Amino acid sequence: MALPLKYNLRNLVVRKSSTLTTAFTIGLTVGVYLMVMALAQGIDLTLATSGEPLNLIVLREGSTAELNSSISQENLRDIQYLDGVARESDKPLAAPELITLVYKARKGMSQGSNIQIRGIGPMSTKLRSGFLVTAGRTFQPGLAEAIVSRRISERFQGMGIGDKFRVQTTDFTIVGLFDSGGKAFESETWVDVNALASATKRESFSSVLLRVKDAASLDALSKRITDDQRLHLKALPEKRFYEEQQGAASGLLKALAVFIGFIMAIGAAFAGMNAMYAAVAKRTKEIGTLRVLGFKRRSILIAFVLESLAISILGALIGILLSLPLNFVSTGTANFVTFSEIAFNFRVTPPLMLYAIIFGSIIGLLGSLLPSIRAARFKIVDALRSS
Amino acid sequence: MKYSKLILKNILRNKRRTLLTISSLVVSLFLIITLATILTEMESGSEKSNPLRLVTRHKVSLAFTLPVSHRQKIAAVPGVKNVMTFSWFGGIYIDEKNFFANFAVDADRLREIMSELQMSEPEWQAFINDKQGAIVGAKLVKLYGFKPGQRITLKSPIYNQTVEFNIRGVCTGGDEKTMFFHHDYLNDMLPDTLWAKNQVSTLSILAKSPDDVPKISEAIDSFFINTDAPTKTETESEFAASFQAMYGGVKQFMYGIIAAISFSLLLVMGNTMAMTVRERTKEVGTLKALGFQRGTIGMLFVGEALLVAMIGAVIGVGGTMLLYRSIDFSLFIPIVQSFVPTTATLASALIISILVGLASVVYSAYRISGMTIAEALRSTE
Repeated sequence: MALPLKYNLRNLVVRKSSTLTTAFTIGLTVGVYLMVMALAQGIDLTLATSGEPLNLIVLREGSTAELNSSISQENLRDIQYLDGVARESDKPLAAPELITLVYKARKGMSQGSNIQIRGIGPMSTKLRSGFLVTAGRTFQPGLAEAIVSRRISERFQGMGIGDKFRVQTTDFTIVGLFDSGGKAFESETWVDVNALASATKRESFSSVLLRVKDAASLDALSKRITDDQRLHLKALPEKRFYEEQQGAASGLLKALAVFIGFIMAIGAAFAGMNAMYAAVAKRTKEIGTLRVLGFKRRSILIAFVLESLAISILGALIGILLSLPLNFVSTGTANFVTFSEIAFNFRVTPPLMLYAIIFGSIIGLLGSLLPSIRAARFKIVDALRSS
Repeated sequence: MKYSKLILKNILRNKRRTLLTISSLVVSLFLIITLATILTEMESGSEKSNPLRLVTRHKVSLAFTLPVSHRQKIAAVPGVKNVMTFSWFGGIYIDEKNFFANFAVDADRLREIMSELQMSEPEWQAFINDKQGAIVGAKLVKLYGFKPGQRITLKSPIYNQTVEFNIRGVCTGGDEKTMFFHHDYLNDMLPDTLWAKNQVSTLSILAKSPDDVPKISEAIDSFFINTDAPTKTETESEFAASFQAMYGGVKQFMYGIIAAISFSLLLVMGNTMAMTVRERTKEVGTLKALGFQRGTIGMLFVGEALLVAMIGAVIGVGGTMLLYRSIDFSLFIPIVQSFVPTTATLASALIISILVGLASVVYSAYRISGMTIAEALRSTE
């Protein structure tokens, strides 16, 4: 027969200071793991949501990022009229774009990071959903004007409306701020592609973004461009292009989260063991009484394991509560694929919270197993005789 | 100190509890030292740099290159002892997973400008005389088994080139996960139409004296200011700092994590000490009845916590130090050059554990030593 759950819960309340400190120790362990994972998750989700399902990005063969890619005017002519490229009133939905970087200092610091400057054409915003100018106005084609993502404007010096930044010998004036629904573009600054080309004296583009007619054309067109021996280009779904950057940006952080979580879990399990051993020792007589009343060894074992499990789930909930406010925190770090700043929000997602509860329960189980076995093994006579 | 024997006996009373507490301390200290070492290694570039060295890059960002002709003009600037080109090649050895830094440099000038690189005379000569020659850091030898005479192929997505090199030497000192080769060799094989032809990422400058350093950067930057390729010249440590700043919020975040781990350590120790103190309430009554003063009783508990913390610190700090001295973890972590905890890190870990030990017991010791004899003896704990 199992011991009523009430027995365990009441016991937890009786030794509440020990229960709470143990729960907090587990909470901090789970919380720290969650926070590092939330950082990695923030990067991953930003990149995962950046590509549009029907967009194809074309780069130079062998290049790993837009920054080290180059596509000539002839290439552009060749690919934009290919079968499968969607059209809008007879014009192909193709956006040749140009990428460069500008080093800017962060707010309140003398050092900073590279900011990605993207030269865009008239089709570019049509190929991206979620784009919205939130302050000021958009740039005028042909002029040296720029719009800056709100996040970058908040994080870097001299990137507000009215400020200027220099590319080679051209000064670009910032005329507006934009949002793009949490995508990677929220780490960018957008200017007119022709203005940027003349500022950087480049005749080629970095990439061409194509909208395809349907899902079937996506693969067909990608294969058609990549396999064409004369073009020396590669085309891949935009979604995949951004997803492939995830590992480089967040892989180390995830490894770090697992490492920190693992080591802290060992520490927390030791602490939990201490608390459970103390609880068992204090209740020796009680355990003897329960056995006399007819409760089996197994019931005692389960009771103590459940008690510890309750503490650890409470701990996991504390950890989740501690990490939840991070959802409102935005930060930025280096994306070494683009060699520039990626700004994002920490993301504590429901699956992460579920992991946290599982993780906390494992700590509780590890910490309670030995003390519970000890409790179950007491001989009735010894237990009753103990002081 | 006459109570040290009593403190020791008290610690040994519940051996399992002491052992668990010490183990918890040891793993937490290991974690704190490891994270702090990652942080210091991320910041180390600016500390290990040579104060006589400057780096010139394009003013806008590293995405823009400088013409190789800047080298001759910079060499003529007063105070410049030597200058060489220094270009990030981004070459991949077989697979993207094998990431290591590889730079195109002026081989004949490398030795003077990066004097931290140590290599035998014949190796230097072999490298300088072979246009296809390359030298690799000692850690690359450990990782990939490179050996002198071997021919290796690197593929660079940035330059869109696949290039073969002859390994001519193995150098120690500096970042030992780096490879250097001749810029001329790379430049000659680039097609005339490629943006990278006759272009370099940065120029590395050695100043004659520390007084020349600020004058040189001023002179170079004002010389090129109205050209197609304006420059920004910084000391090597400033240049390194500008790279480290790219990590942005992640660094402060890591400090927060270390603080959270320390706090959880405090909870662990605090809970243990609270249990220990509470269990001995009756005993405290007896001690008081025997005439022990409040201060003495309090000190017994503080001494006990400190001793546990110190044992944990010695094992945790010492063990971690030994571990990282005997196994070179920098071979497995791509972003760091070496992985040796600094003295400051080890000392901080030691201080953290002692502070945690103290803080964990102060309240319990204060409360229990303040009880009256009757209260303490009446306790049911």
